[in-house]
Amino acid sequence: MTLPILSLTILTLLVGTVATFLAGSRARWVALATSAVFLGEIALIFLGFSGWPGYNGALVPGFSESESYVWIHLSWMRINYTVGVDGISLVLILLTGILQVATVIYSWGESKRPAAYFGLLLLTCLGSFGVFVALDILLFFLFWEAVLVPMFFLIGFWGGPQRRYAALKFFIYTHVASIVMLVGLLALVFYSGSSSFDFSSVYAGARSLSAVPQTFLFLALFFGFGVKFPMVPFHTWLPDAHVEAPTGGSVLLAGLLLKLGGYGLIRWAVEVLPSGLHTAQPILFFVAFLSIVWGSVLSLSQRDLKRLVAYSSINHMGIVLLAIALDSSLGLIAAVLLMFAHGIVSGLLFMSSGSVHHTFGSRDIASIGGITPTTPALSTLIMTGSLASLGLPALISFPAEFTALLATWNGLSYWVFLPLAILVVTAAFYLWMMQRLLFGTPRGIPAGAHDIPWYEGAGMGILVAFTVLFGILPGLLVNVIVSSPIHGWPGP
Amino acid sequence: MSGLPIVGFVGLSAALLAVGIFGILTRRNFILLLIAIEIAMNAGILNFVYFAAYTGGTAGLTGQAIAVVLVGFAATEVAVGLAIVLALNRLRGSINVAEATELRR
Amino acid sequence: MVSLADLFGYAFLVPLLMVLSFVIVGLAGTRLKRFEWGGWLAVGFAGAALVVGVLIAAAELMDPSRYTNVQFTWFHLPAAPGVFPNGFSLVAGTLVDPISALMLLVVTVVGFLVMLYSIGYMHHDHGLPRYYAELSLFLAAMSGLVIANNLFEFFLFWELVGVCSYFLIGFYYEKPSASSAAKEAFLVTRVGDVMFLLGIFIYFYYYATTGPSGGWAANGFVFVRGTTPFLAGAMGGQSTVLTVAGIMILGGAAGKSAQFPLHVWLPDAMEGPTTVSALIHAATMVAAGVYLLAVTSLFIGFTSTDQLAIVAVGGFTTFFAATMAVVHPDIKRVIAYSTISQLGYMVLAVGAGFAMVGLFHLFTHAFFKALLFLAAGSVIHAVGTQDLFKMGGLRKSMRVTAAAFAIGGLALAGIPPFAGFWSKDDVLSAVYSQLPSHPAYWPFFVLAVAAVFLTAYYIFRAWFLAFSGDKPRDPTLPHAHEGPWVMQVPLVVLSAFAVGAGLFIFWPNFQGLLLHGAGAAGIPPVYGPADLALSATSVFLGVAGIGLAWALWGHGKVFVLADSSPVQPLRRLLLNRYYFKVGFDWIGAKGVYTVARAADFVDRFVIDGTVHGFERMFAELSDRLRRIQTGVVSDYAAYVVAGLIAVFVLLLFVAPYLVAKFGGG
Repeated sequence: MTLPILSLTILTLLVGTVATFLAGSRARWVALATSAVFLGEIALIFLGFSGWPGYNGALVPGFSESESYVWIHLSWMRINYTVGVDGISLVLILLTGILQVATVIYSWGESKRPAAYFGLLLLTCLGSFGVFVALDILLFFLFWEAVLVPMFFLIGFWGGPQRRYAALKFFIYTHVASIVMLVGLLALVFYSGSSSFDFSSVYAGARSLSAVPQTFLFLALFFGFGVKFPMVPFHTWLPDAHVEAPTGGSVLLAGLLLKLGGYGLIRWAVEVLPSGLHTAQPILFFVAFLSIVWGSVLSLSQRDLKRLVAYSSINHMGIVLLAIALDSSLGLIAAVLLMFAHGIVSGLLFMSSGSVHHTFGSRDIASIGGITPTTPALSTLIMTGSLASLGLPALISFPAEFTALLATWNGLSYWVFLPLAILVVTAAFYLWMMQRLLFGTPRGIPAGAHDIPWYEGAGMGILVAFTVLFGILPGLLVNVIVSSPIHGWPGP
Repeated sequence: MSGLPIVGFVGLSAALLAVGIFGILTRRNFILLLIAIEIAMNAGILNFVYFAAYTGGTAGLTGQAIAVVLVGFAATEVAVGLAIVLALNRLRGSINVAEATELRR
Repeated sequence: MVSLADLFGYAFLVPLLMVLSFVIVGLAGTRLKRFEWGGWLAVGFAGAALVVGVLIAAAELMDPSRYTNVQFTWFHLPAAPGVFPNGFSLVAGTLVDPISALMLLVVTVVGFLVMLYSIGYMHHDHGLPRYYAELSLFLAAMSGLVIANNLFEFFLFWELVGVCSYFLIGFYYEKPSASSAAKEAFLVTRVGDVMFLLGIFIYFYYYATTGPSGGWAANGFVFVRGTTPFLAGAMGGQSTVLTVAGIMILGGAAGKSAQFPLHVWLPDAMEGPTTVSALIHAATMVAAGVYLLAVTSLFIGFTSTDQLAIVAVGGFTTFFAATMAVVHPDIKRVIAYSTISQLGYMVLAVGAGFAMVGLFHLFTHAFFKALLFLAAGSVIHAVGTQDLFKMGGLRKSMRVTAAAFAIGGLALAGIPPFAGFWSKDDVLSAVYSQLPSHPAYWPFFVLAVAAVFLTAYYIFRAWFLAFSGDKPRDPTLPHAHEGPWVMQVPLVVLSAFAVGAGLFIFWPNFQGLLLHGAGAAGIPPVYGPADLALSATSVFLGVAGIGLAWALWGHGKVFVLADSSPVQPLRRLLLNRYYFKVGFDWIGAKGVYTVARAADFVDRFVIDGTVHGFERMFAELSDRLRRIQTGVVSDYAAYVVAGLIAVFVLLLFVAPYLVAKFGGG
């Protein structure tokens, strides 16, 4: 009997979340302790990870540390509590742990109902963790929806002046998408003739479907997951949500919620419906290119730092979509790597824009500037984040983007020029932002502004450390990703 | 009993139903409204009784049983209805249903 | 016994030392009360790196046929069915061969001297820990680039030097022009980088699918010395995709080496401290583009279409940049244009197939160009202006600087026996030797020869304006005097190199170095003035240029062009840099930004507008639907009855009709 580590982790997070809600003024300590335990458990999961070539004793083929218990048993359908990890989910779980601890430390100074704030942060991470390990459609959907609620309250209660509008917009968009996704998932179960909601059984049934039903199922799922991505033109909830959300919420929104869409697309659509992906490929390419161009070009015209980073997220997730759509193993590796990189780097950037807001009372690039002499540490962090995001080697985004573009060249040959050209625009808006915000003569700086407090620096420092670590040694992640799916990687 | 003229009885209950519905749609007085509802309901009960007799045998007993239960329902309905009438009268001093629209929002 | 050659495995020490310097100076520097020590610490690290660099170069000179590749696996993907059938690994490592040893020597020597010079030059500046840390990081990245043994690693360091350059150009970040120039440099080179990246993709894909070990088993992507370029066989067929790859590599090189049409950033990069200009924007980093072209041509190979494109870009840039230097009043920018022009010569040589000739010119140019910049730095340090027309008569108070600048100028102008003569003449005669078989090279050869005259003219125009005459033309300038010894020593050392570096070509070991550098792939370099008539022509053009400069500007004269002169429009065109910068700014600031604003409008009002339209539609709809909810019981009863009737109608009339028409089960 091995340790049911995944269930244990869910339980820990659940207990930690409840304890945080009840802890009152000591909530941040409880949250920090929960995060520490969570990180420890992630380490255990890594240790127990069977890796390539598959795990013989696994309950669910291809997944390591899997557990499966009957949950609802009907004569014609079994719904199970089934969890398990493979390399893809493992990398994203690591991301969840890193972002959780960094966000908790960064938010150390939160004074508005801290117990509820930290509790909701943990709840978001709990939901994301659940999504990444769930291998049963109902369980997956449960966790998926569980993420929406805390985020809705984080935006709606701790947000900026337009928070009600943003929270509602966020909720309606993602909820409509969820419903389409749910219909798609249920259709997937019934069309595949599966007798349970389990991934492996659905997988086996659906892959043998003919191209037409696969395509329709794929398109439904793609829409459901794509809104989370977000794909243009269903993206306008993202900038609003980010601008209004509190910093911690923004970090998790960009770092985890967008990844849910990518993960869901890979796990429940790409792996399960290969012919569907094949037929829908042109649509995915179009949407991906549109998102890449649109996100980057719009970032150029933004004055609000957070809005700029939000649009750059659209650009980066567009590259993720492109990499997924390529339907090659290199592309999938790149997509997961990119999601990890974007989670870390956008977290760093959202934290630094939050700090800009705390320090200077505004995020308007056009009206404040030359902040480097006042806040050298913050400037360094903004610079690191921007350079990482625009793809500087030795920082995490570079190997990810590099792999993605290499995969694009392999798959689409000269089309790769479009994302490559957009890399220049991406560099342009970051450099221009840095020129206006960090350099030049100081302006718009309130008297008494001083550098960031230690906890904000520490929160960002964690992310910088991982940015550099995985930037220099991307192989650590790639090895985990590659060792995952026995479910037939497409050719190189 | 099989010689009963079916058209006449069904026509009678249809006529009663029409009267009842007419009353429901046009009356504003709560008591008249209740009476109209009773008339429409009795049309239904009459149908049960008639078809029970028409079928005959033990199978017909089901219809008669339902008719008896429905009579009981009608009585309770009237009891509750009259209680509402009293409450409404106490509250507003009027039993005109067209004025009692608070639940609209 | 330990021989010098054992050092080859330790080439990584150079970048490592400089990274240590970056960390220690960067972190500890801010804690120091007086930073003097920090600067000397960085100089010490650079000195240690210099020792390693010189020893490696010496060992390579002793036995030029050696090359040593030390590598480790950067990351390795195990064999996985369907993913990488044979596994796949990417290596990182150092390759010491004649080329990288030569470049390492240049980088460490110039790096050390500039670091030393900075102690005096930057004495009064703020942010010195940052300065020395960034300079150290730059040297680390540059030496890493030089000894990288594969294109991925090369690109990694390539980008790092770009970022260091970005930071150092924007060193005076509170100055808007400096931060703007830094941004411009990064962006323009980024255009090149993106092309370079595509080039790597194409080569990698080609290598992985058709490479020696076949398939994805490709064990990394290494420059292998002593073999023919691995694409040589494929090139015979003039593969389109490889031609594209070559053009992309050229694009990357053009961005870094400021070749036409990506040259705009280099003159503006002069916003950085002069030391930075000397090290990065003259001697080392901008030469990385040429280095890239050279190693690509030697280890991978270009198609003949690529070669023509490279020759065209190099030859044209040579002349094009020289024309702009002719009129410019800013001493640093004149030298910057001359850098672009000289890099053009190197590109020209590499394109014509003579990679080692290009690298030889790179070698000599690094010394005399660093010398010119440091001398100009001395002048700027002394008089506090960069405007040539305010200076004058400085040779009296700054003898060392005046002599150093003159030596650098003579070397640049290609007057024998100064260093520039030998290498530039090599370039010209190398290209000349290809003309019979490649007549398409003719126009670019002519441009390159014509540029010799312009080069001699503009550099001596600068010398005469600054140093000749009796006194400064602007009387408000402070009284000039030489800098401290730390500034003079580098000038003297570099002057020695500027005189003697070209004579290396007569040293058999150095010849061997160039010969082995070319390897099996390159055309062996030409030694010395192969064609006397050509040499005579170029020397004559050089002397004529100096003569013209003396005639127009000598003895403190100022040659003023009449407003009505027919050449005025040309002068304005040159002063405005052929309106290239205006054009780029227009594309960037007006074109792209306008598109971005328009897109923002679409995003807010069309896309989000549609969303809000739906929102309003539903709100309106629900508002209307709500009205039927009157609260009157009889109304509801009426709805019930209407519904009942509708159901009856459906069941009794519509349903039978449908069943009759379509049949039913």
